[in-house]
Amino acid sequence: MPASRIDYQPYDDRTQLARYIDRYPLSFKRTPLAPPVQRPLTLSERTGPVARDLFAIGQMDLSRVAADAPRAIGQLIQISGRVTDEDGSPLAGAAIEIWQANSAGKYIHDMDRHNAPIDPNFTGEGRLVTDAEGQFQFFSIKPGAYPVLESGWWWRPPHIHFSILGRSWMDRFVTQIFFPGEPLNETDLLLNAVSERDVRERLIFQFEGTTMTEGASAGEVNAMQFRRDFVLRGRRQTPEID
Amino acid sequence: MIVSPYCTIGPFFPASFVEGHEDLTRYRGGTARGQHIVLRGRILQEGGVPTRNTILEIWQPDANGIFRNSLDPRCREADPGFAGWGRARTDAEGWYRIRTVVPGSYSDRCPHANLMILAIGLTRRLVTTVFFADDPDSARDPVLDCVKDAAARQRLFARRESAGEYRFDLILRGENETPFFLD
Repeated sequence: MPASRIDYQPYDDRTQLARYIDRYPLSFKRTPLAPPVQRPLTLSERTGPVARDLFAIGQMDLSRVAADAPRAIGQLIQISGRVTDEDGSPLAGAAIEIWQANSAGKYIHDMDRHNAPIDPNFTGEGRLVTDAEGQFQFFSIKPGAYPVLESGWWWRPPHIHFSILGRSWMDRFVTQIFFPGEPLNETDLLLNAVSERDVRERLIFQFEGTTMTEGASAGEVNAMQFRRDFVLRGRRQTPEID
Repeated sequence: MIVSPYCTIGPFFPASFVEGHEDLTRYRGGTARGQHIVLRGRILQEGGVPTRNTILEIWQPDANGIFRNSLDPRCREADPGFAGWGRARTDAEGWYRIRTVVPGSYSDRCPHANLMILAIGLTRRLVTTVFFADDPDSARDPVLDCVKDAAARQRLFARRESAGEYRFDLILRGENETPFFLD
């Protein structure tokens, strides 16, 4: 059975961050001047890699570098969510790449010049794949805040980066998700580069509570639970009525 | 449902998420059919300044013009040794380098590869298409033909530098800006 045709409309600016952001100079140096060219979507744009076939999908616990390794320093968190299209249909088998700072606000990356310590038990990187219902879940530790050194004032609030390879070139998606109630959320240039309140809310995890097991040992964990669902572009095309 | 908001990829995309993906010509123990090439170039911001640490992603058909994706009616014949998708990161001078094959033509599409730029400073992705043709002036393609300005159209063609090497620069903003498509 051929897959039903998916319609991809251009992103509605009201659902997205501004392209130009005051005090974020690179947005003015990199955003194209010319208006984007409208084009038809052909097979080439409607297809994309089957990401599961490209990546080795790792473990679902970023809080340890190996199953028998010590836990990374920081507050254990459990992140879950669901990836759907605009119809609410689950995107099964979507690949999700996750990266984040450690609890001291340090990334393992050649561009990170912040003098915070590296945690030998934490890489801050993971890859996973959504299940048949489009759901994903992983453990990690809560990332720390960190300064954007070249800005002279800007501290990034705790956040986790997500990169999702869905079903096509058109729904490929990258974002950052923030934690609720963080004071730095009020001044973050990216989180606040939205015109509508509900767009900002879609960039923040929902706090879902805590788990508690007395004397938690191997296999049992006490974690703060957060949730963020993602809606990727794409709708089943409405059949034309004769 | 309302589409989730994009946000910039930032400066700290893990190197391990790039490693191994710069070479599309080896896949699952196989080697791609067709002419193996290096596609390389610079990604520059306003004023011709190099962008370091930019992520470039590529999606293209194999040498026979087939996508390994179930929407392609010829999917079963797709080259098992060709990845189709890849990713690279620019160095301090803005250079990226990808090993791939010259994409095959199919239907009404001229040989091409889809490109996507993800970079700090960009709150969205930028998408464009690189074309491969001996004679750009006579190339016809439904996506290429949407670029009406003749000079801009020329900027969507990879330039053959030697037998196995093609050059394609991406200028994000300013003089000789690369055409990007509505996304």
